[in-house]
Amino acid sequence: MKLLKLAGFFALSVLSTVTMNTGAQAGDVVWWAPNWGEERARTLAQKYMAANAGTNIKIEVTVANGLPERVLTAMRSGAAPDIIEVQHGWVNGYAQGDLIVPLDDTIQDKEDYVKAAINYVSWNGKIWAMPYRIETHGVIYNKDHFKEAGLDPEKPPKTWDDLIAAAKALTKSGRYGFGITGGGEVGNTIFRSLPFIWMNGGDIISPDMKKAVLNSPEAVKAVEFYTNFYKQGLAPKSTLENDGLALRRLFIAGTVSAYQSGQFDLPAIQKENPNIKLGAMMIPAPAGKQTAAVLGGWSYVIPKSAKNPVESKKFLQFLNTTENQGYYTDTFPARTSSIKLPRFDDSMLKPFAEMLPYGRPVPVHKNWVKIVQAYFDGIQRILLGDQSVQKSMDEANEEIQALLN
Amino acid sequence: MKSNTGLVFALPALIVLFMLIAYPVFYTGWLSVTNDQGQFTGLQNFSAVLRPRVTTQALWNTLWWVAGSIFFQVLLGVTAAILLNQNFMGRALVRSIALIPWVIPGIVAATTWAWMFHTEFGIINYMLTSTGALDEPVGWLTRSNTVMPAMIAINVWKLFPFVAIMVLAGLQTIPQELYEAARMDGASYWEEVRHVMLPQIRPVITAVTLLLVIWALNAITIIYAITRGGPANRTVITPIQIFRLAFENVEFNQAAALSVMFFAVVMLIVLAYSKAFASQPGEVQ
Repeated sequence: MKLLKLAGFFALSVLSTVTMNTGAQAGDVVWWAPNWGEERARTLAQKYMAANAGTNIKIEVTVANGLPERVLTAMRSGAAPDIIEVQHGWVNGYAQGDLIVPLDDTIQDKEDYVKAAINYVSWNGKIWAMPYRIETHGVIYNKDHFKEAGLDPEKPPKTWDDLIAAAKALTKSGRYGFGITGGGEVGNTIFRSLPFIWMNGGDIISPDMKKAVLNSPEAVKAVEFYTNFYKQGLAPKSTLENDGLALRRLFIAGTVSAYQSGQFDLPAIQKENPNIKLGAMMIPAPAGKQTAAVLGGWSYVIPKSAKNPVESKKFLQFLNTTENQGYYTDTFPARTSSIKLPRFDDSMLKPFAEMLPYGRPVPVHKNWVKIVQAYFDGIQRILLGDQSVQKSMDEANEEIQALLN
Repeated sequence: MKSNTGLVFALPALIVLFMLIAYPVFYTGWLSVTNDQGQFTGLQNFSAVLRPRVTTQALWNTLWWVAGSIFFQVLLGVTAAILLNQNFMGRALVRSIALIPWVIPGIVAATTWAWMFHTEFGIINYMLTSTGALDEPVGWLTRSNTVMPAMIAINVWKLFPFVAIMVLAGLQTIPQELYEAARMDGASYWEEVRHVMLPQIRPVITAVTLLLVIWALNAITIIYAITRGGPANRTVITPIQIFRLAFENVEFNQAAALSVMFFAVVMLIVLAYSKAFASQPGEVQ
């Protein structure tokens, strides 16, 4: 009996190694696709396989949690799949680490892509990934609240002054005009406050990443603009404990009348409180200046250790036709021709689409996590009332400079 | 020969112990004096980790956190124990209920308290404003002078039942004769507490306090789950700083250097404490 069992185990393990080895055949393309797009990924793979006999697309579903570590481990170990979906911001690191192959020969109609997306995945004069999904924040607002405050819900604020005036009018009887974040994960506040610094011509670090520039008058003015919503009582008292999700909850509860977020918040709000008449606007900019936003989204990369780069490149070209890119993305496609598809012809989405050309990448620096932490601590010191904006940003600037040396 | 047999039997366990305890300790020491390439760098990590302002701030926060927690945990715990030692109806039930905070998992307690303290949705502000005790909601977790006391309050709530149950056990070992003798001499209840109970449970309190100090020095759950050390590092304690360095910034060497220094400070505190408070045998008050 015992022996039989043992033999059984042995046979099983041999079988599994055999299947593992034969798992990736010459015509196989292994594609790591995130779980939120799994169904659409399968549809596209079926379509491609129907038209290209001999190629087998194998989808392995990934999840957002721990994905960067998983991708890096797979690439470093040399046992990577053929195609991986990654966030734009990660691509530069892979390219510099010699872990992926350039895709200049794969990308078609380069001029059709949103320029910022291409810039995000370019390094050393080459394109290292194919961006397919892009998104930025806009401002979501409650149209009924606008009406009750005597504002025209169809003419949302365009400039900083307009926004402050609107927030002041909206703030009354337990309602707050414009919610900002000051707590939770650092990223929440970076995504919401950094664009204001950019709009005003400032930045956290200089373009060559050698100098911290957070205490420049432009940056300080923008940080003051952001934090004043709380200091002047136009944002909730709980601002220091609020992240993006908390703002959404407060918006759903009718406590906050407007806040910055992406279009992915819209379905969630509608589901939980269908009575809210939703509006969306571009993020207001200083008078006479252009708006800005942090560009987020996803790209395809081909690892250097991919078994089947030739077939993978062909498949990528199929995935990135105007039609297919528009079908696959969760938010917006990176191709301007794809945005014209009927799916994106929604008045609610329009302001978010108009924000896209103003989307900018965040710098790629090895100490970026610490840099934004220092900046975030500075924002919190202002919100707490510990320091003036100038003093706080001076201190943060000093800390960031130490991280750049 | 015979004495060697014992060693042979203990050896497997000793090897496992060595791998699980001694090796990590020595490896941390090694990490603290090398860089991420494994090259020896002397005290560079130490100076790098001491430079940022947050290190000093974290040390002060840690001292406040430990001192505040211990003081109230012991005070409340001993008081509760003395009360629970009285004879009254339903005593067993009350004793069990009193243990609940200690039994609840730390992360569950922390998340629940975070919601209760929330400025907008929290029940604490709701109760205080609806009864008229406060005119408007207070940002307990977002004001610099309330956030640390709030954290300490949660920690006290969580652990005073443990003190109470230990002290209660100690109280029950006091022989009835001592109380009788005290009463014969005309002692009041408070004199019984002062001259009979407290001296008798002193060893228990000493041991429990030492445990509490070590726990408070290592406590990360409550603060990290609620404020992540914020706002503006107001609640960062050294263990949280070590955690951040290692797992958010992936600076294992600097994290190891800070751990080594923290370990030394903790050892000093524990040694000083046991020298000062440990009861001498045969001591009578």
